[in-house]
Amino acid sequence: MFTNAQIDVNDLPRLDEVTLVPISKKFLYIILFNKLIVFAFVYGALIMASTFANDVLFTEYFQYLVFAVTSILILNLAFAVIAFRKRKYALRENDLIYSKGLLFLKITVVPISRIQHIEETRTWLARQFGLASLKIFTAGDSGTDLSISGLTEAEARKINDFLSTRVNAGN
Amino acid sequence: MILALGVSVFKKNAFANLSPIAIVIIIMLILIGLIIYSVLRYLNFKFHVSQDDFHLSTGILNKDNIVIPKSKIQNVNIKQNFFQQLIDVVSVNIETAGDDSSEIEISALDKGNANRLKEELFTKQSFDENLEMHVEANASNNDKVFFKASITRLLLEGVSENHFRSFLIIMSFFFGIYYEIKDYFENLSFEEQLENNINLAETAFMGTLLISLVFVLLFLLVSILFSVIKMLIINLNLEVIEHRKNIEINKGLFNKMSLALTPSRIQNLVIKTNRFKEWLNLYRLSVKQAMVNKKQQKNFKIVALDANQLEYLVNKLLKTYTKPEFYLKPDGYFKYILWLRLSIGFAVLNVPAYIIIGNYFWLVNFLFIAFTAIYVHIRYRKSGYCISNKFVTITSGFIDTVTHILELHKIQSVEMSQTIFQKRRGIASVIISTASKSVSIPYIKTTDAKSIVDSLLFKVESCKTDWM
Repeated sequence: MFTNAQIDVNDLPRLDEVTLVPISKKFLYIILFNKLIVFAFVYGALIMASTFANDVLFTEYFQYLVFAVTSILILNLAFAVIAFRKRKYALRENDLIYSKGLLFLKITVVPISRIQHIEETRTWLARQFGLASLKIFTAGDSGTDLSISGLTEAEARKINDFLSTRVNAGN
Repeated sequence: MILALGVSVFKKNAFANLSPIAIVIIIMLILIGLIIYSVLRYLNFKFHVSQDDFHLSTGILNKDNIVIPKSKIQNVNIKQNFFQQLIDVVSVNIETAGDDSSEIEISALDKGNANRLKEELFTKQSFDENLEMHVEANASNNDKVFFKASITRLLLEGVSENHFRSFLIIMSFFFGIYYEIKDYFENLSFEEQLENNINLAETAFMGTLLISLVFVLLFLLVSILFSVIKMLIINLNLEVIEHRKNIEINKGLFNKMSLALTPSRIQNLVIKTNRFKEWLNLYRLSVKQAMVNKKQQKNFKIVALDANQLEYLVNKLLKTYTKPEFYLKPDGYFKYILWLRLSIGFAVLNVPAYIIIGNYFWLVNFLFIAFTAIYVHIRYRKSGYCISNKFVTITSGFIDTVTHILELHKIQSVEMSQTIFQKRRGIASVIISTASKSVSIPYIKTTDAKSIVDSLLFKVESCKTDWM
């Protein structure tokens, strides 16, 4: 039987009512670790330059450079810590929601019926913390695919199973 | 890499010791080798069409056998480049769903065979479908040429193009050359003159202005010519042919091509026009399809349509589409952000203005402000969106008027984005992605954005139609 009842927009399931789940706190360590590695390289380059360069101008400004890099590092880390709390996800019956970003807030929603395939990856570092990332691929532009990092392995497996069964049931 | 380098060094040394005759012999050998290779490749390139599949075997030493089920073939395109036109053969492209690499090209077939192959590849599919299709196939077997672009209209289309981009390309091209041959110019003491002009700003101001005006006009003329020629080369003999299930586009002067549009694969439609074109009744329709590589995507453009043809074509591609009566507008914040962006850009531009013009540089800012005011006004006026039961229509543009149309059930993902400042003001943008393009509804109220996201998701998730 075909029905076509009017739908009140206010009665639709709302994004606002969803309680977004934060990702595992341990993922913050990974973010910080990655950032520190990058800055370690920068410091390394600076020290190398200071030992080998005999440019007067450079040695004179060396301490300012170090100061600048350090302040950028501190700001960057502080920002990462604050922004980390914004990384949240939610699984609904028909879609997957992921939101992140402090300065640039982004909420992405991918309907489960549009998922093409799912990839579960665990980097070496993530394995040490028992974490995993889920990459959700749709047929959309490569930029629109969803990737949730910092899920615990159990969570990732559960979400993966749920999505897989739903995607297969849909077809 | 290192190996290649080594080989090239080796060759260089070897060449030094060789007599001219030996070099000729080596070149001959290479040529003969190439000819033998191509003959072998030709002999080993075989394809045939069985009832359900397309078979292709290639390779001289490494044999490749490719089988494609007919039902999985997405598109068959026929192309003919300049050399192929000389010997009157065409190349046939068979596209399947998947990556760029899964595309098959048969590069030299005569026209009759190519068309037969195309028909052959599509026949099975229509048998597959139910009786209804069958009847329809019989009823409308006569394919009709729906639209043919005349040369005058193509010329008009070229002239009425947005020349800004080609203008910039030619400008940068010219200045590139100019810096290359600067030394010659220096002999003509052009530079000194220029410097004098800067120093004696007041007396020479008009002179410089005149020279730059002449140059700008010259560039403009060249860029118009450029657009027109480009338009003619790409789109000469543009034809749109209606088949029962799909639409075929034929076009090109040096690179003749024949492309098929299948309605089920269409993701977005983009209609482009501008004030001048609207007045000339010229519209351009770009069709964005899923799983077509970027280079190919550009070719699905139909230029020089008039309003009626456009409407007919849009309705053919998207059934039940009606042009929205009114559009909802972005928030006033859109104007604010445009002002902000342009002002920063122009503030920076004051520096070169000072260098070029001298003490009167601040006069330029009047121009900037006037431009910004017009720009913001037009951008805001042209931007709007409308979400109906089945379609999303978004308009935008400054010089061009661009209309994006997409079907709701083709949406792949929905995104809401806002910066921390926008969050405070309750502003957000909604980005809607399909399999071929993302479009955004910029800077609307957060509450509206949320309800749009909710309703779009509801429609996508509740509808049973697949996106392809």
